Amino acid sequence: MGGFSPVRGQQSRPSEYQVKAVYLFNFSRFVGWPSQAASEPLGPFAICVLGKDPFGAVLDATLAGENIGGKSVVARRVAQAQEATNCRVVFISSSEEGRLKEILGVLDKASVLTVSDIPRFSQHGGMIEFVLQGDRVRFEVNLASTAEAGLTLSSELLKVAVAVRRSAQPGG
Amino acid sequence: MPAAGQQSLSRKLTRMSILVSATALLLACAAFVAYDLATFRQAIVRNLSVQAQLLGSNSVAALVFNDPESATNTLAALRAAPNVVSACVYSANGLPFAEYVRTKEVSPAPRAELGEGEEERHWFRRDEVMLVHRVVFQGKRTGFIYLESDLQTLGERLKRYVMISIFVLLGSSMAAVAVSTALRKTIVKPIEDLAAVARSISQERNYSVRAVAQGAPAELSVLVEAFNEMLVQIEQRDREVREARDGLEHRVELRTAELAAANKELEAFSYSVSHDLRVPLRSIDGFSLALMEDYGDKLGEEARGHFERIRAATRRMGLLIDDMLELARVSRAEMQRGRVDLSGMARSVEAELRKADPGRRVECVIAEGVEAEGDARLLRVVIDNLLQNAWKYTSKHASARIEFGQMSLNGSRAYFVKDDGAGFDPAYAGKLFGAFQRLHGAVEFPGTGVGLATAQRIIHRHGGRIWAEAEVEKGATFYFTF
Repeated sequence: MGGFSPVRGQQSRPSEYQVKAVYLFNFSRFVGWPSQAASEPLGPFAICVLGKDPFGAVLDATLAGENIGGKSVVARRVAQAQEATNCRVVFISSSEEGRLKEILGVLDKASVLTVSDIPRFSQHGGMIEFVLQGDRVRFEVNLASTAEAGLTLSSELLKVAVAVRRSAQPGG
Repeated sequence: MPAAGQQSLSRKLTRMSILVSATALLLACAAFVAYDLATFRQAIVRNLSVQAQLLGSNSVAALVFNDPESATNTLAALRAAPNVVSACVYSANGLPFAEYVRTKEVSPAPRAELGEGEEERHWFRRDEVMLVHRVVFQGKRTGFIYLESDLQTLGERLKRYVMISIFVLLGSSMAAVAVSTALRKTIVKPIEDLAAVARSISQERNYSVRAVAQGAPAELSVLVEAFNEMLVQIEQRDREVREARDGLEHRVELRTAELAAANKELEAFSYSVSHDLRVPLRSIDGFSLALMEDYGDKLGEEARGHFERIRAATRRMGLLIDDMLELARVSRAEMQRGRVDLSGMARSVEAELRKADPGRRVECVIAEGVEAEGDARLLRVVIDNLLQNAWKYTSKHASARIEFGQMSLNGSRAYFVKDDGAGFDPAYAGKLFGAFQRLHGAVEFPGTGVGLATAQRIIHRHGGRIWAEAEVEKGATFYFTF
């Protein structure tokens, strides 16, 4: 079971990136990809990390044995945005903050869910941005970006999002 | 009239129909209510299950992204479901994640558990039902939903059913009364008619009426027909009895008249015979005496003896005729009733007897103040005959005792004449009072055998009875009553 254990106190808390790894997988379960895109990339359901990998072995451990829509889920590390177009989910590492505009420009054309913890990621056209509230990991959603990419987000997901942007606010 | 505590047939029938319909309805209502409540319970559980499924799918994201506030908001929607007492979302490891309580005093279970392979479970506790539902999202066990609901709606439903049942029961009972009143006529009316006929017959003794069987059920028709048949038979029997009685009365009258005529004839005959016999008898006696006086010295000793015997025989015959005339007289004489002093009579008879036979040693005990109601002349004959009888039949004893008195016998008064003379064999007591019947020879005790017959005739004419008790050589007692 890949669920998060809401144990308060006592047990040792999971680390920030353990939580984020689980969330990356869970986002996939609440997102719908266009059917054309779903049928095109044959092979496993890839969750990619672009740039310097903050997860390490945690992500692989989290995704091991999981599958979505009958496809087994695998973790990949990519260095270039171009390589990430075949991925379903791309986590953009904070190491790529400087190249963010360029990366998003590349990925906009592919049906890829972009996630990052770069501050104001969603304001820059990123789809899901991790934010920390105290020690709790939350997220913001840019619905305009996902709609543009042809991705559908479950209303359930939006319900638990800290903020949902509905109009494109490039720049900002 | 029916006895107290007995119920009329129609009342019984009415009660029976009410009872039958009420029982049937009660059973039907109970079965229906039980079935409906069972189904309703199932429906409540089904509703709860649906609610749990909805809550589950609405809480998936909250569970997955660790957002208890969102789950709490989802649960808050239960305010619209007033029967839900408390609800709780548990994470996959069974610990509470978000909860909802309708009122402060309730709190959900601290842990949710389901068996392996079990997706949902419910149980009842007093007036509540609990349900645990496993939240599964895309094949993954994500958490649990716990719901606790009261069964108030069930209780309200039950109350409503009971009310409805009572109304239906009352209504149907009234309907049963109405229907049975209508039906009663076909059963009770013929029976009441029959009872009325029977009562009128027993009161008026009129057996010619008939009960009517029209419109009665088959069994009652049979009863009425049998009743009528019985009446016919009674009537016929009555007629026969009446005819027999009339015939008998007629025959008795006829015989009585014949008997009276024969008796009268006989009395007239015996009177005339007795009377007419005297004349030739006097001639025989007179001429015998004349012959004795005129030619006595010319006749031999033997011839004179024969004449003496002729004269004795004529005297005896004269006595016989006197007695027969007496018997006829007491039968025909007019009765003149009055108070009679029997003691005085007995004393005067005793004096006469002593005078006629002064040599006898007889002790006479005569009770004082013995009285009777009757004809003095006739009763004198009775006392005379009985005392003479006693005097005569004690004559063979050197000394004798004769007693006259009265006694109480079976509540009525009896008179008696008692002696200690020759007595008689009780076997012949029946012949004692017949005319010319004698138990002793004329040589032993002279007499005609008419005296007791005369006494009996007189006693019978007074409506009384006479009888005797005796033993040979130990005396006899004659009793008589009026």
